[in-house]
Amino acid sequence: MTLARADSALAQAEPRPAKTSRRPNLAPWLLLSPALVIVLVFFGLPTLFMARMSFNLHIDQRLYVPGFTFEHYRTLFTNPIFTGAIWTTAQLALLSSLATVLIGYAFALLAWLKPARWRLLFIGLALCPLLISEIAIIFGWWMFFPKNGLLSYALVSSGLITDKISLMYTEFAAFVGLVYITLPYAFFILLSILDGIDRQMLESSADLGASPVVTFREVLLPLTRSGLLVAFSQAFIWAMGIYATPSALGPDTLWTMGFLIQEQMLGKHNWPLASALSMVLVVGVALVMILTRSLMSRQAAYHV
Amino acid sequence: MAGRLAHVADCFEGDPKVSAAAAGAALEVERVRRAYGAVVAVDDVSLTVGRGEFVTLLGPSGSGKTTTLRLVGGFEGVQAGAIRINGARVDGEPPYRRDTATIFQSGALFPHKTVAENVAYGLRMRKAPKPEIAERVARALDIVRLQGFEDRFPSQLSGGQKQRVALARSLVVRPAVLLFDEPLSALDLSLRLQLRAEIKRLHDELGFSAIYVTHDQGEAMAMSSRVAVMNRGRIEQIDKPERVFHEPANEFVYTFIGESCRMDVRLENGRTLDPQGRPVELRLAAPLPDGAWRLYVRPSRLKIAGDGEPAPNRLRGTIHFVEFLGDVFRTHVKAGALELFADHPGRLQQGPGDVVDLVWANEDMKAFQ
Repeated sequence: MTLARADSALAQAEPRPAKTSRRPNLAPWLLLSPALVIVLVFFGLPTLFMARMSFNLHIDQRLYVPGFTFEHYRTLFTNPIFTGAIWTTAQLALLSSLATVLIGYAFALLAWLKPARWRLLFIGLALCPLLISEIAIIFGWWMFFPKNGLLSYALVSSGLITDKISLMYTEFAAFVGLVYITLPYAFFILLSILDGIDRQMLESSADLGASPVVTFREVLLPLTRSGLLVAFSQAFIWAMGIYATPSALGPDTLWTMGFLIQEQMLGKHNWPLASALSMVLVVGVALVMILTRSLMSRQAAYHV
Repeated sequence: MAGRLAHVADCFEGDPKVSAAAAGAALEVERVRRAYGAVVAVDDVSLTVGRGEFVTLLGPSGSGKTTTLRLVGGFEGVQAGAIRINGARVDGEPPYRRDTATIFQSGALFPHKTVAENVAYGLRMRKAPKPEIAERVARALDIVRLQGFEDRFPSQLSGGQKQRVALARSLVVRPAVLLFDEPLSALDLSLRLQLRAEIKRLHDELGFSAIYVTHDQGEAMAMSSRVAVMNRGRIEQIDKPERVFHEPANEFVYTFIGESCRMDVRLENGRTLDPQGRPVELRLAAPLPDGAWRLYVRPSRLKIAGDGEPAPNRLRGTIHFVEFLGDVFRTHVKAGALELFADHPGRLQQGPGDVVDLVWANEDMKAFQ
């Protein structure tokens, strides 16, 4: 009885706030809708089509025949060519993104700690690869890695080695090419995180008796942890999906997922298998992102 | 209160390092110099901070006070001269090997560590045993009145609380010298006054040695054992606050500390001319030799007199306008090209346009040639 009375009293006292509070709920969605429509139409729908395609049949060299089969997924996880490619791609992506994050962190730290004019130089350098197309960069590597290339010439003329060497078409060349592509993204992500840190904290840490190594471990590393994770996942996504660079710089035996998707799609005209391989790639990348996200959320509290 | 004082005191007295070296100075800065390219930030500065002394570096921005502090803390290197802490030379040492602790303007707390972890940081770096760390952290938080805030993060604290944590974090390591780098200038006025009184109280209770950098003369006067007034990288005067105020060593110190009215005059054959060469009616009790002079009087010492009143020094002018400043009225008077203002508690009979005489006593005037 008292409850009911209290309820009606409440309803009488504040009939309006209830009404107005419903309206703002719509505003975020309205504001979000243009971006949401773009994401759903241009990314969601094609992914759905691709998912559907991966279950279609592949008969008589036709691109695809509508139907439903798990055949292609079974092939992917049993045929050593495909399992090998998945493994190779993941390995290469992991190693190159780790290297990217390490090098990017070092450069971002330099740009952050050095005076402003150095900072501009570093930012300019990091922008360069973004201004050149991937194909042009590959041509650049073709002049750098071969036996009569720049690298070999530099090593021989500096006396470090006696015979010319070629690093062209090696896994190392593919690795370097990947790092070069992903480095700018890691650099800018890490620099933006570092810019949010009060540099005086390094001084106060030293002031309280911490050596530079201890300051790095106690202060800088925990504060840049989320940035490192974001930079890593960004580099990893790029490295997993990229097709041209590892194909052009690596050995013929370096079969990445990107290469095989291309081959199945254009060479073997097997669209369902190409789609299934793409789905594996998408899901794999999504899993890595979820993993890095979950590592971050625990640390998010003090960033507010 | 007595119990509180006692336990606060052993925070410092229990330290053998402090009592053993009690004879010498905590900090000696000897003829240090620091230049950035062609700009000399600190030029031949010497300074001694005795044990338990609170020395303030006061000066306008760009006067080299913060650079001096950073040289002591080791964040900048000296190019000439020496710095000694407890008699040992430290100017080649990095900050983490110097027995100083700085309270920064921004606080510079570690945002990913709790209040207790922040305060414990310096003790952990000194490899103090865990039970001792816990005890000293609790005591330091007690001293700055932040008990119960141990598990908060800096982002959950107000500006004043952050500076208290910064203070506790520096106090807890019992440094030979505490370095304050304008710690209150980011806070609003009432909080600033409150924390100022609190730092003063802590100094009285704990007796630490400190250098305090500020551009606020109120802070400098209220807290310091001695004030060093800095200008263009040099120390103009270093003395007790009262002496700096009442017996300034030179024109810069006089004009920087407290408000003053300035009269640029030229004395010629018994006449007084303003900067534009027009005569003004100035009568001085003790005549000065001919030449160009800068005469200064504090506005609180200038009085507005009726015509007949006897006064040793007298300047005739016209009231320009009157301001109400709360505690006092400020009457702006023009005499030729000279502009002065006099502060007085009550409203005047005269108003703008009226001719009045400004009078002052001999000892209230400073004359510089």
